[in-house]
Amino acid sequence: MSGICRTRLAEERKQWRKDHPFGFYAKPTKAADGSMNLMEWEVGIPGKPKTAWEGGLFKLVMNFPEDYPSKPPKCKFSPPLFHPNVYPSGTVCLSILDEEKSWKPAITIKQILLGIQDLLDNPNVNDPAQSDAYTMFKNDKTAYERRIKQQARDNIPK
Amino acid sequence: MGSDYDISDDDADYYDDEEMMDGTQDDEEGDDDTESADDMDYGDDFKVSTKAKRKPYEVEYESLSQQAVEKLMQRDVDHICGIFGVEPDTASLLLRHSKWNKEKLIENYMDNANSVLVAAGVTLPEPAETSARTHNITSSSQQQSSASRRPATRGSKLLGLASSSKSGVKSPSPPKALSRTPSRKTDEPFVCTICFNDAPDLQTLALDCEHMFCTDCWTDYVMAKVRDESEHSIRCMAEGCALVAPDQFVRTILLAPAGPDTSEEEQAAKEKTWDRLQELFVRHFVACNTNLKFCPYPSCTNTVSCPSAASKSSLTTVVPIVSCGARGIGAQDSASSMSSSQQFVNGLGLKGKEHKFCFGCPIESDHRPVICSVAKMWMKKCRDDSETANWIKSNTKECSQCQSTIEKNGGCNHMTCKKCKHEFCWVCMGPWSEHGTAWYSCNRYDEKTGVDARDAQSKSRASLERYLHYYNRWANHEQSAKLALDLYAKTEKKMEEMQITSALTWIEVQFMKKAVEEVDKCRMTLKWTYAMAYYLAKGNEKDLFEDNQRDLEKAVEDLSELLESPIEAENIPTLRQQVTNKTVYVQKRNEIVLEDTAVGFLEGRWKWNVSVEGFDAPEEA
Repeated sequence: MSGICRTRLAEERKQWRKDHPFGFYAKPTKAADGSMNLMEWEVGIPGKPKTAWEGGLFKLVMNFPEDYPSKPPKCKFSPPLFHPNVYPSGTVCLSILDEEKSWKPAITIKQILLGIQDLLDNPNVNDPAQSDAYTMFKNDKTAYERRIKQQARDNIPK
Repeated sequence: MGSDYDISDDDADYYDDEEMMDGTQDDEEGDDDTESADDMDYGDDFKVSTKAKRKPYEVEYESLSQQAVEKLMQRDVDHICGIFGVEPDTASLLLRHSKWNKEKLIENYMDNANSVLVAAGVTLPEPAETSARTHNITSSSQQQSSASRRPATRGSKLLGLASSSKSGVKSPSPPKALSRTPSRKTDEPFVCTICFNDAPDLQTLALDCEHMFCTDCWTDYVMAKVRDESEHSIRCMAEGCALVAPDQFVRTILLAPAGPDTSEEEQAAKEKTWDRLQELFVRHFVACNTNLKFCPYPSCTNTVSCPSAASKSSLTTVVPIVSCGARGIGAQDSASSMSSSQQFVNGLGLKGKEHKFCFGCPIESDHRPVICSVAKMWMKKCRDDSETANWIKSNTKECSQCQSTIEKNGGCNHMTCKKCKHEFCWVCMGPWSEHGTAWYSCNRYDEKTGVDARDAQSKSRASLERYLHYYNRWANHEQSAKLALDLYAKTEKKMEEMQITSALTWIEVQFMKKAVEEVDKCRMTLKWTYAMAYYLAKGNEKDLFEDNQRDLEKAVEDLSELLESPIEAENIPTLRQQVTNKTVYVQKRNEIVLEDTAVGFLEGRWKWNVSVEGFDAPEEA
């Protein structure tokens, strides 16, 4: 049982290097001694073109539990993101990342990242995770849009 | 009969002894005893109480074992099988999905069978699924090929949106392994997309959707779902696939004969998971059915059926105290390591206690005579107020001007209220100015202002006092009930000693057990009568109620005192006589309280001083 986690992550890594969606990156973090830590990945999710998120590349850390893929990884924007479905801590609230909702062991890292990218411009108002972004999104769409655009500008990759 | 009984014998004999004891008592004491004797009849309680004529304060109910509930479920499943002409597994999935509401299921099924089947995860949906991209199965299932005629609709799943929009841009080239997955018949090596195992002899399984994964991954998944999440509905592991695994499929996973490399431990864990799953099914069924309630005692799997208390409105007239028929917690382990005397005492304590609970509310004890909503109100008040109120009462006073609560934590008696700047004397509560030059000491005779100040304060405290009056008595009975058990343990020990030193037999001790049990029961009643009295509106009815309460309380205290009296060999016959008489009396008083209150509810005789759902609003005093 415990063996699956690392095998699967190694395979995910292989698949990702072979082929991954444009503008994304995903790599396991390096420990201090330079060895690879498969259990924690650093990823970047680009905002979709023709949306307020365009141009930004949003950094996220994925933490895989020991019982992955039975359990989903924890995905956390770092720094936290201004978005109705992102907790103040940066953790993403998304049904496919919830083991009691739509998480399935067959969901790949690529699918998770595409799902999060899609969430950026399609917030789920039924599941707010932070009040700032949620209230603004509900009450003042123009201000929200402005704020998102600013956030995208702040996150243009160097 | 009693002479060959060895008190320190092993617990296994315990039940036999009980029966023996019952027999003796019935012979000796006749009719008066039938009820308490029934109480000692382990395991058969509910049958007796349903057969006998019900008392006004009892409800009709039936205790069901897990097997009995499974039978009920099977009956519904068979019914649906017969009507729809489907397999039992399918019927189970449909029923679980429709929360065991047969009528609604039949109606919906007749209306649109296919949509019901899809919603329940029995068959695949018509249009291409949200997961169309990753699991685009082109070759295999006919169901899918016919389904993929329609274009992908915007699914509700976010992932679905992402993949459909993204895949439009990217070339539709799923990873190699994925495209191979469904083709079961081809000789190409299969790679499980979850663990990436590609061993040639890999065992694989798939639901009708043909999303194939290796058996090990399925096993881990099912175990995680059932054990960690207590989930009984196990969906396909593929992303977005809503198909639910039928029981037979899960059974294959969990109960397949052990392979050569399966350890015994693993096999046991799988079997345990299967058992847990069966329990989850039962729990789900029970939760869906208002006539049923699962026993709240830890590790108990019994269910109680009580249709007369299923509706909310019925709870204003009855207190549905039921018992699931089992006793004790973790029956197997509690029995083994104890001597019978220990177990005897525990039989009165938590360990051997009947699984009595209220069918109508979450209070896990007998809260007769008071009805659920009032009991709940009282519990809430106790949680909110009691400790805080006690502390405030003993440690603070109120400013006589603004009623702020003030704690004096040092310094002199010249107090200045932080809030309203009122200056007063802590001792007499009168304004400080009246002390004149008598600083720092209050030797004045009470003058009017001081009395007024305390009057105002006492008024605001009156309600607290009232509450504490009831609360203290409530808590006292709870405490005393616990002490009575200790007393019994002590007496029991003493009796044991006396059996050795004198000619007394074990059977002569048993009146104590009965007395303690009765005291325990009555204290429970008394406890709740205080909750009831706190909320009862003033008037004749309340007076009568309190008269009954007083009589019972007096009788219980008398009996308690008797139980405390020293036991000497020579006074045992008298003591026994007295205790037995008192026990019968107490039992009768208890019956009167319970019966009168229950009848009162049925007649709508009780009025409250607060508004209670289902009752008239309180009259303004």
